[in-house]
Amino acid sequence: MVVFYSAAFGLGGPLFVSIGTVVLPIFAVSGGIGGCLVFSNDRLKGVLEYLVAYGVSPRRLLFNALAVGLIQVTLILGAGVAAGLTTYLLSGYQLTVRLPEVLLVYTFPMSYLTVSLMTTIGVFWTALSSPRAGLNSPIGVLPMIGVLPTGAALILALTLGRYASQILLGAELVIFVIVLSLLSRTDRLMPTERLLSPG
Amino acid sequence: MESGYRNKPVLHDFSFTIHEPSVYVVLGPNGAGKTTLFRTIAGILRPTSGEVLIDGMPAGQQTSRDQLHYLSHMDGIPDGLTVRESLDYYARVERATSADVERVLDQLQIREFSGTFISRLSAGQRKRVSVARIFLRERKIYLLDEPTISLDPKVAREIRSLILELSRDKIVLYSSHNLFEAREIGRYVLAIRSGELALFDRIENLRSSRYVVGVRALEPSDALSEFAREGDYYLRELPGPEAVPAFLRELESRGVKIRELREMGNPLEDLFT
Repeated sequence: MVVFYSAAFGLGGPLFVSIGTVVLPIFAVSGGIGGCLVFSNDRLKGVLEYLVAYGVSPRRLLFNALAVGLIQVTLILGAGVAAGLTTYLLSGYQLTVRLPEVLLVYTFPMSYLTVSLMTTIGVFWTALSSPRAGLNSPIGVLPMIGVLPTGAALILALTLGRYASQILLGAELVIFVIVLSLLSRTDRLMPTERLLSPG
Repeated sequence: MESGYRNKPVLHDFSFTIHEPSVYVVLGPNGAGKTTLFRTIAGILRPTSGEVLIDGMPAGQQTSRDQLHYLSHMDGIPDGLTVRESLDYYARVERATSADVERVLDQLQIREFSGTFISRLSAGQRKRVSVARIFLRERKIYLLDEPTISLDPKVAREIRSLILELSRDKIVLYSSHNLFEAREIGRYVLAIRSGELALFDRIENLRSSRYVVGVRALEPSDALSEFAREGDYYLRELPGPEAVPAFLRELESRGVKIRELREMGNPLEDLFT
């Protein structure tokens, strides 16, 4: 399936590179867990309450969690792309325009967008739920939320191979709009009283 | 003012004014609204009606926030940091200096484990680190929600003495479930019952509903056999402190050699019943 998809992108090259480029956004969602985990732990331990008392806004706390997620994704992408490119070149293939294009159109934006979506939903969900630790918190199902948009877009792109790029760009646009729309509702979805420690 | 949470109003018809620097002990059973009161003064919760003013400015505005320290009942220490890193983190949030961090490491006697990760500390040591942050910078008002909980008696006493020192020129609101501690440290008491301010007075003005003294004798005496006992103490209920001299004379006349006489009850206990 993945090979078929890469063929649709015209990547060619070693299978490792083709698969890696396609599945990297799915692995990248693990980076989004970090931001939500820090947020959830800090809430349980009263760190968020402390920060709010000293004037840190809920919006800033959300953006901090997003920043943690995006930094972790950058590390995952950096390692993944470096390993992929090294393999590609060591295998004797010439770097074509197609590979950077796929990275720029699909791999990078899809990874960053799905992690942004996942972190935003995760933080709001955590804030709106009763304080719970670890996997009992919404963090337990967050990876599914992260994988879902990429998986759906990939399946659709595979089914309609000719329009793969357009489908993926469309999916990225939809995710971007959802993320922006959620961020604009921060004050309503994350009032300060939802950031307080239990008790 | 009234305050509480989205679906749960907690404080009702709550009104008081504080001017004098001192320790104001906030007492009340669990769920009475002590933490909600602190959160509302700290500007974390907005009053649903009325207002909280700090030097004339609404609580929650940055100018008001900058005048107070809030120590919640949770430690509020981020994961994965050492003691020193935690204090550096607090110092950045509160715009304190590294010299301030060094000072509180000594003041709270936590320098010896400054390089230890918070996760490796005992509950009492973590509490000391948490309390340390209120000493990083001076503020006008201190909201301390059970600051000595999980501390051993010696450290608790040391922290109480630091807080007492603070209260010479600062306003300290201090909640505790330890009535003896409350009586030791507080000059005023704010008692909360079911979300309402049940009492706001000087502690010295409080009288127990029953005034009971305990007598410890140097040697056994038949004269004390009619008294109820609590440990080594023989108990007698008196009309009030003014009856103590006559009671002492009575004991002496009956040949009782007194080692100690103390008030057994705590007037603050009545605020919980």
